[in-house]
Amino acid sequence: MKYLLLLIIPFFFSCQSKEEITQQQYSVEGMALYKANCENCHQADGSGLRDLYPSIQQTKLSPEALACLLKNGKKGNGFMPANPKLQALDIAELMTYMREKWGGKKQIYPADSVKLALQNCR
Amino acid sequence: MGPKTVNAKGDTVYHQIPAFRFLNQDSVIVTEKDVEGKVYVADFFFTTCPTICPKMKTQMLRIYERYKERDDVRILSHSIDPDFDNTSVLKDYANRLHIEAPKWNLLTGDKATIYRLGQKSYMVSAQQDPNEAGGFVHSGAFILVDKNRHVRGIYDGTVETEVNHLLEDMEVLLKEQ
Ligand code: HEC
Repeated sequence: MKYLLLLIIPFFFSCQSKEEITQQQYSVEGMALYKANCENCHQADGSGLRDLYPSIQQTKLSPEALACLLKNGKKGNGFMPANPKLQALDIAELMTYMREKWGGKKQIYPADSVKLALQNCR
Repeated sequence: MGPKTVNAKGDTVYHQIPAFRFLNQDSVIVTEKDVEGKVYVADFFFTTCPTICPKMKTQMLRIYERYKERDDVRILSHSIDPDFDNTSVLKDYANRLHIEAPKWNLLTGDKATIYRLGQKSYMVSAQQDPNEAGGFVHSGAFILVDKNRHVRGIYDGTVETEVNHLLEDMEVLLKEQ
């Protein structure tokens, strides 16, 4: 499915600007990463599971805080695992996907910004 | 349905779950007596599990909701990280999942006993493994047990269609004496 999409996209969006294409690439990669790392808990539609895993459809976290959460996880009331394997680019792709899916905004979240945010996690 | 052997007389003999004794999320002792004459579904999980457990819990909730009003159905979820998953951790988890004992028991107890029960009786893998995400390996199996504590079916609890089969088989077992 993922590869099919990758094949279709360049054809489908060939009349789009370079930024739009990059945004789509990020978003498609982000969707695959979401499926692999997040969907078990937060569900495909981001609605979560009762009070065990929160909905992420309308998170109020800042982009910086979100980047840190995705990398480092959180052991607070609930438990969200860290994702040491995710690199800055992966997190940027994830955030771009989430932004498009639940934020209604087709705008890339740059890997450089993630890098910077990750250096300043609390 | 279920793993079985044939005895000398030629009768089919299903594998039987031995006596057990654990604590649930309400710090109440749960034993084989509590499932006497009931059909139950067993699984193995731990509260901090990052991988398949949330999927299993989503599916187990279907079973829970469907049989909420019936007294002859039980769910036993055994923690394979019982040292961390003490009764208060389990209570918090149950509250967040909006589930209640005695219908759905989250069980903790002696780790070796739980592992032995999982491997020898329910025939699923359950052990510590530092190389696995979360530190434990375990299968996502749901084990369906009849009113006489015989294992009658094993299903992949992470797959919706498999759990549909479980629900069908459950109806058959509920009609048995
Ligand atoms: C093992 C289950 C689990 C997995 C896997 C998981 N999360 Fe979470 N997530 C949680 C829990 C629990 C919280 C709540 C943490 C807290 O605040 O105590 C949470 C919180 C969040 C929040 C903050 C919600 C808010 O507004 O407060 C976001 C956003 C989020 N997760 C996104 C993700 C993404 C993206 C992934 C994949 C990289 C992921 N999660 C993987 C369990 C999980």
